[in-house]
Amino acid sequence: MNQKLAAPAQASRNLILGALILLVGLGFGQVKAEEVIVLGHAEITEAYDPAHAFNPTSGMVNRVAYDTLVTFPDADASSIEPLLAESWSISDDGLVYTFHLRDDATFTNGDPLTAQDVVFSFNRLKHVRAQPSFLTDPIASIDALDERTVAITVTGPRPSFLAELANTAFSVTNASVVGANGGTDAEDAAETDTAQAYLNQTSAGTGAYVLQGWEPQDRTVLVRNPDYWGEQPFFDRVIIVNIPEAATQRVALVSGNIDLATDLTPDQVVALEGNDDIGIYLGPGRWTHFLLMNRDPGVGGPVSDPLVARAVRYALDYEGYRELWAGSVTPGSNMWIGLAGAYGQDEAMQRDLELARELLAEAGYPDGFEITLQYPDMTWAGVSTSTNAQKIQADLAEVGIAVRLLPGEVQVALEGYRSGEQGFAYWFWGPDKLDPVDFLEFLPGGKVAGERARWTEDGVDQSVMELIAQANEETDPDARMEIFAQLQDFAQEHSAFAPFNVPAVQTAFRAEIEGYVWHPQWGLDLALLSRAQ
Amino acid sequence: MPLYRYILRRVLFSIPLVLGITVVAFLIANAVPADPINANLPQSALNNEQLVAAFREKWGLDQPLHVQYFTYLGNLLRGDMGVSIRTGKPVLEDIRQFLPATMELATSAIVVGLLLGIGFGIVSAVWRSSPVDYLVRVFALIGVSFPVFLLALIGLSVLHAQLGWVAGPGRLSFLVTRPPEVTGLYTIDSLLAGQWSTLRDAASHLVLPSLVLGLYVSGIIARITRSSLLEVLNTDYIRTARAKGQLEVYIVLRHGLSNALIPVVTLLGVLYGNLLAGAVLTEAIFAWPGIGRYAYRAATSQDFPAIMGVSMLIALIYVIANFVVDLLYFLIDPRIRYS
Amino acid sequence: MITPAATPSGAVTTRPRQRFRQLRRHPEVIVGLAVIVTWFLLALFAPILAPFEPLEQNIQQRLQPPGETHRLGTDELGRDVLSRVLYGGRITIPAGLAVVVINSIIGWLAGAVAGFVGGLWDEIMMRIAELFMAFPTIILAMAITAALGPEIRNAVLALVIVRWTNYARLTRGLIIEAKTKEYVEAARSLGAKSPYLLFRTLLPNSVAPVVVYGSLDIGNAILLFAGLSFLGLGPEPSSPEWGRMISIGIHFFDQWWMWLFPGLSIASLVMAFNFIGDGLRDMLDPRTRH
Repeated sequence: MNQKLAAPAQASRNLILGALILLVGLGFGQVKAEEVIVLGHAEITEAYDPAHAFNPTSGMVNRVAYDTLVTFPDADASSIEPLLAESWSISDDGLVYTFHLRDDATFTNGDPLTAQDVVFSFNRLKHVRAQPSFLTDPIASIDALDERTVAITVTGPRPSFLAELANTAFSVTNASVVGANGGTDAEDAAETDTAQAYLNQTSAGTGAYVLQGWEPQDRTVLVRNPDYWGEQPFFDRVIIVNIPEAATQRVALVSGNIDLATDLTPDQVVALEGNDDIGIYLGPGRWTHFLLMNRDPGVGGPVSDPLVARAVRYALDYEGYRELWAGSVTPGSNMWIGLAGAYGQDEAMQRDLELARELLAEAGYPDGFEITLQYPDMTWAGVSTSTNAQKIQADLAEVGIAVRLLPGEVQVALEGYRSGEQGFAYWFWGPDKLDPVDFLEFLPGGKVAGERARWTEDGVDQSVMELIAQANEETDPDARMEIFAQLQDFAQEHSAFAPFNVPAVQTAFRAEIEGYVWHPQWGLDLALLSRAQ
Repeated sequence: MPLYRYILRRVLFSIPLVLGITVVAFLIANAVPADPINANLPQSALNNEQLVAAFREKWGLDQPLHVQYFTYLGNLLRGDMGVSIRTGKPVLEDIRQFLPATMELATSAIVVGLLLGIGFGIVSAVWRSSPVDYLVRVFALIGVSFPVFLLALIGLSVLHAQLGWVAGPGRLSFLVTRPPEVTGLYTIDSLLAGQWSTLRDAASHLVLPSLVLGLYVSGIIARITRSSLLEVLNTDYIRTARAKGQLEVYIVLRHGLSNALIPVVTLLGVLYGNLLAGAVLTEAIFAWPGIGRYAYRAATSQDFPAIMGVSMLIALIYVIANFVVDLLYFLIDPRIRYS
Repeated sequence: MITPAATPSGAVTTRPRQRFRQLRRHPEVIVGLAVIVTWFLLALFAPILAPFEPLEQNIQQRLQPPGETHRLGTDELGRDVLSRVLYGGRITIPAGLAVVVINSIIGWLAGAVAGFVGGLWDEIMMRIAELFMAFPTIILAMAITAALGPEIRNAVLALVIVRWTNYARLTRGLIIEAKTKEYVEAARSLGAKSPYLLFRTLLPNSVAPVVVYGSLDIGNAILLFAGLSFLGLGPEPSSPEWGRMISIGIHFFDQWWMWLFPGLSIASLVMAFNFIGDGLRDMLDPRTRH
């Protein structure tokens, strides 16, 4: 009986409480449910600290958690746009870049952005000597001229420098917050900087979102920065859930558990095309899948022989990979096909088993040889490395090369790759710099060639080295094209790499998700997404 | 023998075993890989001479092997199992994080296994040689013969992907926030916090993996229950009860089962091993963030401190569990006291 | 899983005719045997029976459901699932056999020595066995395989290392039991020397049960091997090994034929071994007889 009597009283209390909450809500100007978007994503990153992070997942997250001085348009790299720097000038000799910072940008804790923050961030990037630190190589010095002016001096004329600065590694962090949490930009930062743990869990930037937490291999959460200096993004909260398997991503998307799936396979996307609840984006991708053949005979064994490397390039069934990954193309070199002057499918290598066998015989392996292929075991952007590796194995078997497959956990494999200890490996590469100079990484003197494939300048024709030096500095577009064409010809014959496929980007999302734009640098820009009401 | 002497004797017997466990763990983590530094430090740290030197010193790597072992044991006694290469965190901390998930899964799986197993075992024994018995035996055979990963895939593709009756991989849906941590078991924690929708979600995620894992152990339980119940039902004592005209159901449950379940209890050790083996595979498939998946990921990334930490922990649990079972036996069965 | 305690420890003493009659009452033994023989034959004649090469890729024909040309469909690289399943038996069955054979030899030796010599030897041997029992089989096997590198041989080796103890305990029990038997006492009192006793009387008496136990254990060994392989710690990715083939299912659970058929292959084979085990247990264990 008491219960019955109590019920109306309870109800009216709830009503009053509800009304109060409503009023308080109105007082703050809006009564709106929190807008949340959930992404299914195959995570690949070891950090979110912009000075350490150098992986696709961190690129996407740091794109919105931080800002860089300059950036690209939303969908391509056709021009350089202002971001934290509202304007800049370049000295006549091309050596000094002077940036004028905007005066309304504040960090998420309310601190105003200053030139010192830029100096601190870039010096820290350089001195922690982490994965992305090499991007600071062209920088000779960074100086804060006043509160809002930064001058960067480069070591030589570098037409690609502004495009390089658009990389999220050049994110501007709050110097005092990072400093208070163990960060330093001193020269011994590699040993003394301890801010990574802090920056892996929260962000100290000026971005549209704030990193709220990261549980590796599980989830990453971003919340909207209410004081963002730029345009407010639509979603209050972004949850990036690690779902390594494409099949699971598909089920989660179709059932509405996630709003967007970044790693569906091309087959799955094709199958989803008739589904009215699902929107699809299909476009040329940024990932060049390639084989690495270490030039150090002690590491690479038979594939260290340039003739063998060339034979391998002739042995791959390029058409087969295109068939395997709907919408993919065959690249003509390790230069990303989206860059001006890159060799595309028309200029690409053609399979020629006869020639491959001849080259092998010439190299002293008429009956082929046995070799282990190392690769990270994962599905990336819908492409299974395991599937490709098995096809590589089958392709090379046709010219007598017996390949043993050795998949590894991504992080473990990455370490072997980065230390140049992999003799024969399969990796994929997305351009760090949206400029043809990115390709120089894969040529003698470049980082990937030198450190990962141990293909150094030793024994390389002097004229080639001169061409590479010119490629770095040439400003005339036509002359540049010509230089890069010659370098790509050189690579097709002599390279320590065998690029074989650039899969398409395929993203599927719930039909009400709008604003999906894919960018070749950071992939998905989370701040542009919204939900149709 | 009085209880305290029994306990003392049992503890003394356990000590060499526990030490032996640490020796094996030590050998696999340090002696099997060609270079313990390579096996125990991430590649990025290898270039840092300070880190390498610190590691050498901490684990006494310049010393002969037996000295290294004592250093290892000393660190272990302080709760230091080393640092996981993959996660970069102390192994003990990782285990603390991942253990509750496994406990939740294992507990619900064993409940499923016991319910199904004992239930089927009874039915099968009571209606011996009937079609029901035959069906149950086939079911038990499937339980012990089907690879747990096959059951998991069938469950995922039918119950989750096709029919959508239960949730898929993971412990919670992506949007659901975790209940405030008390026990680390999401079902219990959400219950304590009164978060009913979270509870429903956590339970829905728990259904499939615990069903698969429970099915896997229920086969064994059903077989043992059946055979031991048959044995008991054949004894004079039950015949007497029957002759007295007691209800068959009453006989089976009251007299038969209580005796027949003793072998089930003794087999808990074996079950536990099976459960763990099954848990590694189940967790790997269902992306269940427990220690099974942790161990699997550690193994595939050559993370020796982590994998040996997990092995050691499980071995210790095994020793303790056996100790408790023995103790219970000592208390229950008077014969042991005089032996 | 069958434990040593649950296996027939007494030697088979019934006459052949009786045995045959018993066998007729246990059709599951016949069925089990038939399935096993069938799988052995299928694996043996896989090169003749398989319509395609197990590694032959055909990208145009990928992910085909079961149909005319590909009876059990094709996988993600257009390989014929039927051919791969047939060839898979050539890896999984020998691997399971190898584990059991090596296990029984090592375990039998260790157990026989422990049981026969007794004393300190016995104590040490059994402590070591207990130690291995304490470790979780699959995790220890994972650790060892990971340390040695993922390969079929290493997976087999890892399983041998972690599983010999069952056999050692079984053999030891049998030897100790046999030692107390009258005929041994008699032989000893007649002046028979220890080695003679060991070789002429005790060992033969312990061999039969170990062989029986071992043959029933093949199913378990296959399950564990397939489990390791499923986790990527066995044969390499392109290998038509059953556990490996199923592991791809995580990525393709819509293409059920890719993982269901290899899965059923393992299940049917293991089930057949368990059928025989069940039947034998019923036949040999007087307690569960009518």
